[in-house]
Amino acid sequence: MMNDLFLALFFIGFTFTAYFFMNLLYIRFHFSFLMPALTATFIIVLFLLITGTPYETYMIGGHWIDSLMGPAVVALAIPLYKQRKLLLDNLVPVLSGILVGVVIGMASGIALAKLFGFSRTLILSLLPKSITTPVAMEVTEQLGGIPSLAAVFVMIAGFSGIIIGPVFLKMLRIETPIGVGMGFGAAAHGIGTAKALEYGAQETSVSSVAMSLSAVFGSFLAPVFVWIFCL
Amino acid sequence: MKFIVFLLQFIFIYGFFFLGQLLRELFGIPLPGSIIGFTLMFAALALKLFPLRLVESTATLLLSFLPLFFIPATVGVINYFDVFAGKGFFLIAVVIISTLLTMAASGSTSQYLGRRIETGKEQK
Repeated sequence: MMNDLFLALFFIGFTFTAYFFMNLLYIRFHFSFLMPALTATFIIVLFLLITGTPYETYMIGGHWIDSLMGPAVVALAIPLYKQRKLLLDNLVPVLSGILVGVVIGMASGIALAKLFGFSRTLILSLLPKSITTPVAMEVTEQLGGIPSLAAVFVMIAGFSGIIIGPVFLKMLRIETPIGVGMGFGAAAHGIGTAKALEYGAQETSVSSVAMSLSAVFGSFLAPVFVWIFCL
Repeated sequence: MKFIVFLLQFIFIYGFFFLGQLLRELFGIPLPGSIIGFTLMFAALALKLFPLRLVESTATLLLSFLPLFFIPATVGVINYFDVFAGKGFFLIAVVIISTLLTMAASGSTSQYLGRRIETGKEQK
């Protein structure tokens, strides 16, 4: 019992410390690959591998931090509410873009993964890849996929979106603030929204609205796609 | 004092999350509890049931730490490294291609409709 308390405090402290320092590093250099969600995870994984600590032991502390994810998703309603004017002024283009994005993203994800013959569990884990991590993990868990893998696919989606995205959008002549913001937010969620900051205020607002609403639309539609594709 | 305000606001926000989980369990809604809570919070604000400042400062604080909260779950990938071995490499390709398709589809739809509405307004 005493031992569990010690482990819990140690791993909570370790996670906070890793996040804190990696965040400082990110603020200092502002390079996408230094995002603390990536670097701090990497450090913790490395530590667990080197010390031979099982994930379950780490989670004695980790699950306390984990339990703040749900309330943080609820808190996303506040920035969305603050953007309500932008949302109302562009209701049709914004909602259509999000709906089309979610449908194309999920359908192409399932179709391609089936083409390569991947298992049901893996398909369910990559299905919500363009949804913000905390929601993607919950969606995957409910469908019967693996939440940790979902988190990794979400990260891959985010990074491919911001690395290839700028050139890709230019190639497709997507250049209006609403088009660019939508592209980043609907495909690359929070990581994309951070990239949209480099474009301008309007792109960022559209992107953050796209991110929040993609999470809502995506969690509604994910079970529907599972049903359509008979997974 | 600041801490008490934070704590009260946090309990209030957590209440929405809890209500979301509860509704999900009670009615078997196939949505994450957090998304139900998010929708209720947005609806409550839109209906002006309480002022924005009642939740604003704590929500902003929580969101500034959002990446921290999903680190423990992401670390779980440690148990699934074998998934990316061999053929699993193509999983990454699938995710990248599908992400770009999502970006193209959503971005061009919004841009096209946005422009059409703009020109429609100018002609009036």
